[in-house]
Amino acid sequence: MGRKGKRRDVQQKKRDKRLRQREAGKAKAAAEQERAASQRAKAVSGRQSSVGAEVLAIAAESSATEPVAKAKKELNIPEYKPSEKSLLKVRDLHTRFRTEAGLANAVCGVSFDVYEGEVLGIVGESGSGKSVTSLSIMRLIPNPPGEIHKGSILFQGKELLDLGWEDMRRIRGKEIAMIFQEPMTALNPVYTVGFQIMEILEHHENLSKPEAFQRGVKLLEEVGIPDAERRMTDYPHQFSGGMRQRVVIAMALACDPSLLIADEPTTALDVTIQAQILELMLKVKAKRKDAAVMLITHDLAVVAETCERVIVMYGGKVQEMAPVSQLFKDPKHPYTLGLLSSLPKPVRGKKERKLKTIPGMVPNIHNFPKGCRFSTRCDVVEDRCHDNEPELHKLGDYHYVRCHLVEGDKIEV
Amino acid sequence: MWSYFARRFLLAIPTLLFSTLIVFLVVQKAPGGPVEAAIMASQMGGGQGEAGGGAVDMANNGVSQASIDAIKKYYDLDKPIHVRFYRWGKKILRLDFGVSSNFGKPVWDMLKGRFKISISLGLLGFFLSYMICIPLGIFKAIKHNGYFDFGSSVLVFAGYSIPGWAFGMLALMYFASPDYGYEWFPLNGIQSSPDVFKELSTWGKLMDYAHHAILPVGAYMLGSFARLTILTKNSLMENLGQDYVRTAFAKGLPERRVIVVHAMRNSLIPLATGLGHIFSLVLAGSYLIESVFQIEGMGMLGFKAIINKDINIVMGILVISTALSLFGNIVQDVLYCIFDPRIRFK
Ligand SMILES: Nc1ncnc2c1ncn2[C@@H]1O[C@H](COP(=O)(O)OP(=O)(O)OP(=O)(O)O)[C@@H](O)[C@H]1O
Ligand code: SF4
Ligand SMILES: [Mg+2]
Repeated sequence: MGRKGKRRDVQQKKRDKRLRQREAGKAKAAAEQERAASQRAKAVSGRQSSVGAEVLAIAAESSATEPVAKAKKELNIPEYKPSEKSLLKVRDLHTRFRTEAGLANAVCGVSFDVYEGEVLGIVGESGSGKSVTSLSIMRLIPNPPGEIHKGSILFQGKELLDLGWEDMRRIRGKEIAMIFQEPMTALNPVYTVGFQIMEILEHHENLSKPEAFQRGVKLLEEVGIPDAERRMTDYPHQFSGGMRQRVVIAMALACDPSLLIADEPTTALDVTIQAQILELMLKVKAKRKDAAVMLITHDLAVVAETCERVIVMYGGKVQEMAPVSQLFKDPKHPYTLGLLSSLPKPVRGKKERKLKTIPGMVPNIHNFPKGCRFSTRCDVVEDRCHDNEPELHKLGDYHYVRCHLVEGDKIEV
Repeated sequence: MWSYFARRFLLAIPTLLFSTLIVFLVVQKAPGGPVEAAIMASQMGGGQGEAGGGAVDMANNGVSQASIDAIKKYYDLDKPIHVRFYRWGKKILRLDFGVSSNFGKPVWDMLKGRFKISISLGLLGFFLSYMICIPLGIFKAIKHNGYFDFGSSVLVFAGYSIPGWAFGMLALMYFASPDYGYEWFPLNGIQSSPDVFKELSTWGKLMDYAHHAILPVGAYMLGSFARLTILTKNSLMENLGQDYVRTAFAKGLPERRVIVVHAMRNSLIPLATGLGHIFSLVLAGSYLIESVFQIEGMGMLGFKAIINKDINIVMGILVISTALSLFGNIVQDVLYCIFDPRIRFK
């Protein structure tokens, strides 16, 4: 055994050495690849349409946390003109949950459009119904306890709420893709990243395993994962948070969806990685000009950098909806004003340390007031606000506000 | 990682050595043994005690010192304890567990036959319960709070609260005796009488065995049934609520695939726990169930050996079940690694 064992040992060592050399070579190649990928990404974002390009250019200079107001002031944003074709029409959407404390009306009467090719932001404090709205569009509201009990969701002219389970399944992941907040838990821990990407392609595009594998490698390369071919066989826990979110994005982009819904895709990530991830997400538009992105976030700075139009939600309702430039220049709703003034603002010379916050707290979902949902926290509240719920007023072409103090055509879209 | 398992195997050796030492000491120090057995036998009149002959010694209750010495010499009791342990250990390595003091047969030969019965009953029960409980648990999780879920929970928990042997007796009454119910199953044993059994084809032998095994295996499984079913259901429910399941649905995978491929695979991880323990349980058998069905298994043998102070059998069983549970634990860790790629032992 002795001599044989020794010989085997020597062979093993040689093999190890060769392996190490190969690994080192791979790593070098990977680093180059990554550099190339990031350059490509920059080129792509440079080609971004109208507002996106300028906002991103500014964003590149100022980091994600830096004041948006400054960026906005220096920008001369052109008048907002969406493509007139609406990809998604949500009308009077009501989603509720049966809880032990009673019915929780998480979304009550939300209406909006998503136009082809636009990046639409949805902002609002925690509990305002942003996630429930997006899950309703995907028809992923857990039932029980939840149900969509009223409304309509038209996607490319099809009523999603009338679709059977199988037809809806064909749309999910293929036509409408979704990115969730938590990259750490969004991937199945017991399957390789490759498996999880390939299964989408196998199901929606009927690709064979080798074809799906090749496409998977390409997708990972596109989202800037170095050494993609080898990484396909790695498990999610072998990736960092940012890298996992890249994988999730690769999965969402796998079938070139026409609508990408991203529910707080960067909240769980480091500030430095946030910008990269946002940039990547917008890649969907580089692939498909008519594709739209719905970006849900807490962060108005993110909205300023990436979106063209924004919806402000509170208490399960749309409170204000406007093109981003308009919203920052001329916010109308007291809630929007509150959100904006709680952003850090630079004052010439010295920095103002204290941030304004909206007084009070979001009421419990079961105790929203009868009239205006914001009346418990509004600093310009009037008597009528307590009794009557304001309707959505149309101010401009794309500007809607739900407040009694705003004069305009009353409409319910 | 494989070096981890190699180390585990190597570590198992001193562990086994140490635990056999404890077993050895406990059994040696316990009252009762071959000498006492001989004394008892002589008091009952006749038996081994007379063999030595010679003067009657009152202090030893009528057994001569010479015969006691002979017995002690035969069982190595005249040597100091470490020598005895060394000699005993050396023999065990050759699977020589000595001779049963009650039956006069080599212990290993007696154990061998019972292994087959206990292991086949145990494994059958084990596989059957996994094969029934896992699908049942899945179904209950999907139909959570439905009529089926509720009804099956009542049954499963009723089964859980009935001791296996009691169920065995009832089953025998109603399904194996014409006086009370039906005579669908044989009353006792694990196969037909040897004369009949010999004549059967391989398939026939198998069927004969299954026919005999159904009731005892049912009694075996009864207790673990509830635990396994509820464990499967709960862990599947928990996994169905996880983010990655929502991701899988959002990817547009069919519901079947999401449940079976994504959620179920994760639910197997807790099911692997306890596999190692089951290993030694299967071997130890159950005295009560074996005696209800009059099966000559490990449980029965072990019980009788303890009652009769048949040291060699007791020690043999203890050593083997210790070794098996050590082995079972390693198997369990290997299974963990297979089911959960996040677990990597170093
Ligand atoms: N499964 C559920 N069961 C009961 N209530 C729910 C459920 N999911 C959401 N809700 C309720 O719906 C309301 C809106 O929740 P939603 O997750 O849409 O908020 P959000 O705007 O996405 O907040 P966040 O910024 O914290 O993600 C919350 O008040 C929540 O209590
Ligand atoms: S309607 Fe009244 S309470 Fe509501 S936001 Fe306008 S002013 Fe404030
Ligand atoms: Mg949310």
